[in-house]
Amino acid sequence: MKHIKVIFVLAAVLGLSACQSKVQYGDATEVETVNENFGSTDLQAISAKMVDSMLTFPPIVVMTQKERPIMFVDKIKNKTSEHIDTESITDTISTKLLRSGKFRFIDMTKVDAVRKQLDYQNNAGMVDPSTAIRFGRQIGAQYMLYGNLSSIVKEAGSDKDVYYKMTMRLMDLETGLIEWSDEKEIRKAKSKSFLGL
Amino acid sequence: MKRLLQVYIVCMTLTGCAFNSIFINYPSQIAPYKSQLATSTSNASLTKLADNISGNDGLLYAQEAGRIAQIEGDFANSKAYYQQAIAAYKDFDDRAIVSVSDIGATSSSFLLNDNAIPYRGPGYERIMLHQYQALNYLLMGDVQGALVEVRRSNQLQSSEQAHYEKSQDSIKEMANGTINSEINKLNKASGTVTSSFLNAYSYYTTGLLHELLGEPNDAYIDYRKAAQITPDNHFLQQDLVRLAKQLSMPQYDEFKKRWGDAPLPKKGQGQVVFMVERGFAPEKQSFTVPFTIDGNFQTAALATYYPRTTPLNTTPITGLNNVLKAQSIANIDALAYNALKEALPGALFRQAARVVTKSELNKSVKGDNKHDNDVGSVAMQIFNVVTEQPDRRSWLTLPQQAQIAREFIKPGQYNISIAGSSATKIEVKPNRATLIWVIETGNRTRFYSIII
Repeated sequence: MKHIKVIFVLAAVLGLSACQSKVQYGDATEVETVNENFGSTDLQAISAKMVDSMLTFPPIVVMTQKERPIMFVDKIKNKTSEHIDTESITDTISTKLLRSGKFRFIDMTKVDAVRKQLDYQNNAGMVDPSTAIRFGRQIGAQYMLYGNLSSIVKEAGSDKDVYYKMTMRLMDLETGLIEWSDEKEIRKAKSKSFLGL
Repeated sequence: MKRLLQVYIVCMTLTGCAFNSIFINYPSQIAPYKSQLATSTSNASLTKLADNISGNDGLLYAQEAGRIAQIEGDFANSKAYYQQAIAAYKDFDDRAIVSVSDIGATSSSFLLNDNAIPYRGPGYERIMLHQYQALNYLLMGDVQGALVEVRRSNQLQSSEQAHYEKSQDSIKEMANGTINSEINKLNKASGTVTSSFLNAYSYYTTGLLHELLGEPNDAYIDYRKAAQITPDNHFLQQDLVRLAKQLSMPQYDEFKKRWGDAPLPKKGQGQVVFMVERGFAPEKQSFTVPFTIDGNFQTAALATYYPRTTPLNTTPITGLNNVLKAQSIANIDALAYNALKEALPGALFRQAARVVTKSELNKSVKGDNKHDNDVGSVAMQIFNVVTEQPDRRSWLTLPQQAQIAREFIKPGQYNISIAGSSATKIEVKPNRATLIWVIETGNRTRFYSIII
């Protein structure tokens, strides 16, 4: 009887130690399905599709043959029912476009910081005026990249269906024409498990 | 005797969790915070309340702490607390259909009382949680975040609507005499109209945020639903007529005929929008029936509401050009009565199961020894009566009633006040809306405003 008890306790201890939490590194591009919310896989799928579509669109290929057009990214409007960091999506897209060597970018989120620095260089009296960068020498953007992220969520019983649609457009600021547009759709379905904690 | 000891051990470990609704009724835990909100000028300390968020009823305490912080104007903290509550609801949603922890909680409720089941609020509480979270985002200047919360509450509103379309009749299925009279009493207090099922205040708030943040078409949809629930609110009628006119909706003629034409803003005019919240939501009271089984004394306890005797009037807002009278858009009382009415069948079932479990326990303590027998059975009866507590948990810092008022006025500064409050300065800018959120909690009134 006593032996059985000891064996039982040992088994329990062994069993419990297996449940210890642990940390490990994973692949950043691995498919992530922790829950149905907007996740890294969605972000990667959206940015990959958008960049590919834009760089292979024939008029854009022609446009970027002789020069590297300058563009800026307007915010992506979040119209979903989740708090999503849309700046992170635009960051990925603009980085990829920049790395393709076909476009140049103006970062509108840093305008204030730049203004402060130029103000310091020109007006603080600390910087040699011959080396100070003067106001009004920056180059204006020719194109604006913007987009919308919307979602439709449906839930009935133990099933949940989430549909995301990301639309992006490239506008020529001089003419107001849309030069390129594309969308990426993502659908995720989730059903509750029958048994669980 | 051994069984009895086990029960006592369970009982002792449970009392170990200091703030626990199993033995201390919930309204008395929140009462000090409510009185602090009503009178004092200093802010309530939330740390003790927030400690409970990790516990069994974390959801409820998170809602409560978020709301108290919000009433006091600490929107950042309120947002964090509400986020915890939202996450807790999400956990419930994600739970398996047959969940071990749910079964565990239900079985301990058979032994002790319904407070052993983790709290999960009724539909209207969850919708209001998102509605208030939207206001947190808005008052902290995050328009996009506010709209996300608005869309979330829209989703819940539509599922709540679908729920009642199916099951309006399900609450009539009870046959116990005493309880029936309780239900009738509740019925009388909540009325039979949709306003006791759906919350027009939530629809109005989401509609308002849609409108102020540049989505008038979505606002129109929500206003229409609010008007179906509360058809006699003058300001809501005017909003609907005005929006129908601005968006050239086909219903414009019909609305105009029914409610009269609405004035459009004149050039350079600003707008004041008031949301007035008054009082506190009702507290559940206990309703106890003593009886005996096999000569053993036992009780059954259920929660009920005692309807209030004095209804709230319209709130006159002074300090603008004319006195503006805020009209009621929703009574939380009616929603609370109805939620309780819906929870009663389940509570009755668990009550019956509990009576059986406890009378079995009574029998089990009867041993061979005569002395043991007496001590055991007396102790058991005391245990039964002490643990028999009704489930009196509900979100208590919600308002009793929500009212609205709205007017186009000349831009400038105004000193506004409502009955008995000190004056507060607000600013109105041309072509902009000033949203003023007035929260009256007993002897104290707080004003929060933002120009959108």
